[in-house]
Amino acid sequence: MKLLTFFLFPLFLFPLTSGAQNCTLSIKGNVADEGTGIPMAYGTIYVEEMKTGVASDSLGNFQLNGLCKGEYHLRFNHIGCETKTLFLSLSKDTVININMHHHSELVDEVMVHDHHSQHETAASSTISQETISEVANKDLSEMLEQMTGVSSIKSGAGVSKPVVHGLSGNRVAILNNGIAQSGQQWGNDHAPEIDPYVAEHISVVKGAGALAYPGGSLGGVVLIEPDEIENDPHLHGNVNYIFQTNGLGHTLNARLQKYDKWAAWRISATTKVIGDRSAPNYYLTNTSKREYNVAAQLVKHISSKWEMKLYYSLFNTEIAILRGSHIGNLTDLEEAIDRDVPFFTDEKFSYTVNEPRQAVQHHLLKLESNHIFNEHQSLNLKYGGQIDNRKEFDVRRLDRSNLPALSLLQWDQYLEGVYKHFFERGKQLKTGIQLRLTDNTNSAETGILPLIPDYRAYRAGAFVIFQEEQNKLLYELGARYDLNYLQVVAISTSLPREIERHYHTFHNYSASAGVRYKVLPQFKLNLNLGHVLRSPEVNELYSAGLHQGVSGIEEGNRSLKNEQSTKAVLSADWNVKQKLFVQLLGYFQYIGNFIYLQPEDEFRLTIRGAFPLFTYQQTNATIGGLDALVSYEPIESIKLVAKYSFLQGDDVSNSQPLVYMPSNNLFGSLSYSFKDGERMKNSSISINGKYVFKQTHLNANQDIAPAPEGYFLLGASIGTTFKIKNTKLRCSIAGDNLLNTVYRDYMNRQRYFSDDLGWNVSVRLNFEF
Amino acid sequence: MQIDFKFLFKIMKNAKNILWALPLFSILFFTSCEKEDPFVPNEEELITTLIYTLTPVGGGTAVEFRFQDLDGDGGTAPVITSGTLAANTSYTGILTLLNEAVSPAESISDEIAAEAEDHQFFFSTTHFTFIDGSIAYEDEDANGFPIGLLTTFAVGSVTHISLTIVLRHEPNKAALGVSIGGIDNAGGETDIEVEFDIPVQ
Repeated sequence: MKLLTFFLFPLFLFPLTSGAQNCTLSIKGNVADEGTGIPMAYGTIYVEEMKTGVASDSLGNFQLNGLCKGEYHLRFNHIGCETKTLFLSLSKDTVININMHHHSELVDEVMVHDHHSQHETAASSTISQETISEVANKDLSEMLEQMTGVSSIKSGAGVSKPVVHGLSGNRVAILNNGIAQSGQQWGNDHAPEIDPYVAEHISVVKGAGALAYPGGSLGGVVLIEPDEIENDPHLHGNVNYIFQTNGLGHTLNARLQKYDKWAAWRISATTKVIGDRSAPNYYLTNTSKREYNVAAQLVKHISSKWEMKLYYSLFNTEIAILRGSHIGNLTDLEEAIDRDVPFFTDEKFSYTVNEPRQAVQHHLLKLESNHIFNEHQSLNLKYGGQIDNRKEFDVRRLDRSNLPALSLLQWDQYLEGVYKHFFERGKQLKTGIQLRLTDNTNSAETGILPLIPDYRAYRAGAFVIFQEEQNKLLYELGARYDLNYLQVVAISTSLPREIERHYHTFHNYSASAGVRYKVLPQFKLNLNLGHVLRSPEVNELYSAGLHQGVSGIEEGNRSLKNEQSTKAVLSADWNVKQKLFVQLLGYFQYIGNFIYLQPEDEFRLTIRGAFPLFTYQQTNATIGGLDALVSYEPIESIKLVAKYSFLQGDDVSNSQPLVYMPSNNLFGSLSYSFKDGERMKNSSISINGKYVFKQTHLNANQDIAPAPEGYFLLGASIGTTFKIKNTKLRCSIAGDNLLNTVYRDYMNRQRYFSDDLGWNVSVRLNFEF
Repeated sequence: MQIDFKFLFKIMKNAKNILWALPLFSILFFTSCEKEDPFVPNEEELITTLIYTLTPVGGGTAVEFRFQDLDGDGGTAPVITSGTLAANTSYTGILTLLNEAVSPAESISDEIAAEAEDHQFFFSTTHFTFIDGSIAYEDEDANGFPIGLLTTFAVGSVTHISLTIVLRHEPNKAALGVSIGGIDNAGGETDIEVEFDIPVQ
């Protein structure tokens, strides 16, 4: 919400009559609901320096009198709303209009309420900073699961990737700070290398209209956006600490920021140390994790029309992989599936990260320039440089466990120029060019033939989006072209080992159209249609070798063609008297030449026994689903939320279901907010439940083990904020899987080996100054 | 190349044209050199060859069983050579593991012997019962548990044996039945699993 405050600040802050004497100045204003624009009565406006406050009247108006010339921190509160702060240098009588973030659950869900997508027709969901820091001991992808239609594909306790409307990996672009995340996206066991603490909000664009972002995102786009630095010349910061019982984990983050005269800056540092996690009945031996991250952000306003931004982040992690999931061949896998307790389960808890493990280091450097030429034209230039170093260690003979079994060094250079032109009467044109060069090199230190060959990928893209807004209607038309050129340098799988060079060129054309129509102020419809092409990635073309985790030999297919996706998303939002909110989103996607791993009727004999052969093939597929959200507030302090996601994926050419599609799920929560007290504010208690259905849309021969049963998880949380002078201390306790339910999840690849996580209680302290 | 600053300045001045400067960048971008050759890894850990040599206890001609896959997983299919055993005969079995992908070939059996506590071979046969004969371990590690590099193979009166040799890395050697060759409770991961079809005369 700070972002919005920042945004509103220059817009609504305008001086009135001058000539006021000292200590006779006033601040007048109005408080309204951000989503609906309806005035909000009985909100409190507190001036920290004066230690006094007033309440807004029944029309949302308020007035503060008798203020001296000077600097003030104002705080706005309303029951059930996120607190909003504003810094103000008062020299004249001033008028402020404040839009409060009411019904946060829903507003969080629908980014359309946020200024970011006031001008977007693609459906999207957002989670705010408050939510992020409440659950920052979890992975990025687990956080995103709170949104309807978003789930995770996991490889155990510490590794998860987001799945948007059934698609993940190469098909979901993740933009960190506006730069497409460049890592080893192809692997299901490669989590995105991002520290969620750097984000002010994280949103997922579910529609097909994400044309302004690098191509190929058939599923959706995940945007991780940092907070703008508030225009406040004082040093502010916050310290966050989370303790979790499952894994006896500690997560610590500290942030400092200041808007200095020379520039605005912020630094953030995070440390995570989590030990072996536990399932309800046993330890998950070797599932500990370490994480050390730093980020620095610098903003310099060179002139009122020119702003430069510099951002650097380092992500550093070491993740232990469940020892019992490390298998040698198909017999081992079958044996592991039949066991109740995984092999190598230790009776003792440990923080040690042993083999098998992953060590990943990711650097991101971004330089951005925002230039506003005049009220019609602006230009944004971005450079992004990334280095991703991934090493995976296996249990090996002699001292070789210290040698990685997989060692990849990837660097990525990205250059973008976006030009915007605002015409009269709400017309807007946005066009841009993006260039990207990715280089991926295997290190020979492994002593193992690489699964993915060395390659260099050159990508050039250009897009144009036109948009027009008239009273109730907003429409958008866009087109995009991408040229992908791939240079692959592979080592032959037969003897003698030879170097093979391959070249591929792909042309991708994308187009989208979207309409947003406000039927009534409280009823809104969004329709988005898009056609997007994605070219096959290097793993789909050139994988060669044994994939231990799934006990199969995977072979790439060099003749793969572009995937062609057509997706339609229709969403409707109702708001009944601010008490009932309903949001429905239906989608249907047809993907021609959908690339998937086909199990062949062939076994490949190796010295470790016979392995089934999987090859990358293409088919035609459809994915359709529904995301529903209902939020109801019978009285102001009570809120009920229900969410439901339904999804079905089919391989229409072979008349069979698609594998690894998320199960349908149902979520419900009930929360009660206490009235703000003298010292304790924002106190609330809530209880929630999640039911995940069994994935039944699957043929028995499509998996080596049947899909796990459906399960129910119970959670609860309680929290309050203590105000001590100008500082705030937020304390909260949250519990997950409180019934200690034994379950396995279809989307977790470790379900072949072990139960999922048992109960966990997190205690969180957040000190803000 | 002489940089035309005047021209650059001109295009920088005009906002719309900055966008057209980007293709110039792209030329620079796309003319970077060809991706260099990768280093072929030295596959020192690979097990390409398993040789089970059976020599009659009283002396005689040794019979050799060989599983050889020189290029590792994938590529060309492995070559399996089998021999014929005599009924009602005891053999001394020696297992040799090689990595022939490197030159000179490396002995993996030496590596196994050096890490004997973390390795165990398991032998299982069909058409083979205790009446017909047995395979017994003839070696042990520092803890007194068997390894399986050295065995005695007693062939009974059968006409055909299907023999499976399994090498487990980090098995639980103390688990029930493991020290007498039972694989069910062994755990660990499989490094080798090969099968030989053996005619018995």
